[in-house]
Amino acid sequence: MRAASRWRVLVLALCCAPVACGQQFQINLDHLTAKASETVDLSLNGSTLQFAAKFLDSKDPDQNKVKKLIAGLEGIYVRSFEFQKAGEWSPADLETIRKQLKAPEWSKIVGVKSTEGETDEIYLRFQNGKINGVAVIAAEPKELTVVNIAGPVDLDSLAELGGHFHIPKMDVPKQKDVH
Amino acid sequence: MDWLEQELKDALAREDPPADFASRVLRRAERPVTPVYRFPRWLAAAAAVVVLAGTGLEYRQYRGEMAKEQVMRAFEIASVKVNRIQTQVREVGK
Repeated sequence: MRAASRWRVLVLALCCAPVACGQQFQINLDHLTAKASETVDLSLNGSTLQFAAKFLDSKDPDQNKVKKLIAGLEGIYVRSFEFQKAGEWSPADLETIRKQLKAPEWSKIVGVKSTEGETDEIYLRFQNGKINGVAVIAAEPKELTVVNIAGPVDLDSLAELGGHFHIPKMDVPKQKDVH
Repeated sequence: MDWLEQELKDALAREDPPADFASRVLRRAERPVTPVYRFPRWLAAAAAVVVLAGTGLEYRQYRGEMAKEQVMRAFEIASVKVNRIQTQVREVGK
């Protein structure tokens, strides 16, 4: 291989590094950061997840569920934007992501579009007949969230966890034994 | 003998010590010598290792807690969205 070709391969490999190292598709939504009133950008690779798992408390129900979910995961990548007014993101923003979530690698399992302008989609990535990744697109007029969970994911457990969050915990005093 | 010679003779003339000189010297010799305290090098090195290890553990704990918070936040966002989508699908199916 000539030197110039080697350099091209190296540059190409470096450009593709974010996708190759865990993240299964690129979330090119940086241009929305300036318009958003609140932005969440989380890129956690496998080693960070396994490191964090050591600090999750198994006695806490939510943390215990997350601990079980992250076992074997290669990464979780979240981009979420909240806007003051509607119309800050465009359908083209979603299209750049949808273009990457194509068959045979990806399968769209859920697509919900409401009259209130909500668009929700879930894609699964299969490898050797097993789920190897999840992509979630949740778009509302004033909010846009894209998630990529890389690795084997149990969607039911994930959804169940979502039902637990935001529910305030109540410390119920134990009843004294009556003798 | 000139004046300089006389001066030298007076200055270098033999003089007997005071009567208690010997006893004073003996008393001083018997007094315990205060040792000069020298901090052992190995102890300084051990202290440095303990401080560094402690700081390292503290930093590891801090990083772990940060990673944990980020993981919980990521899963909170992901799971709430999936839960909402699942609920919508169930409602459509009813």
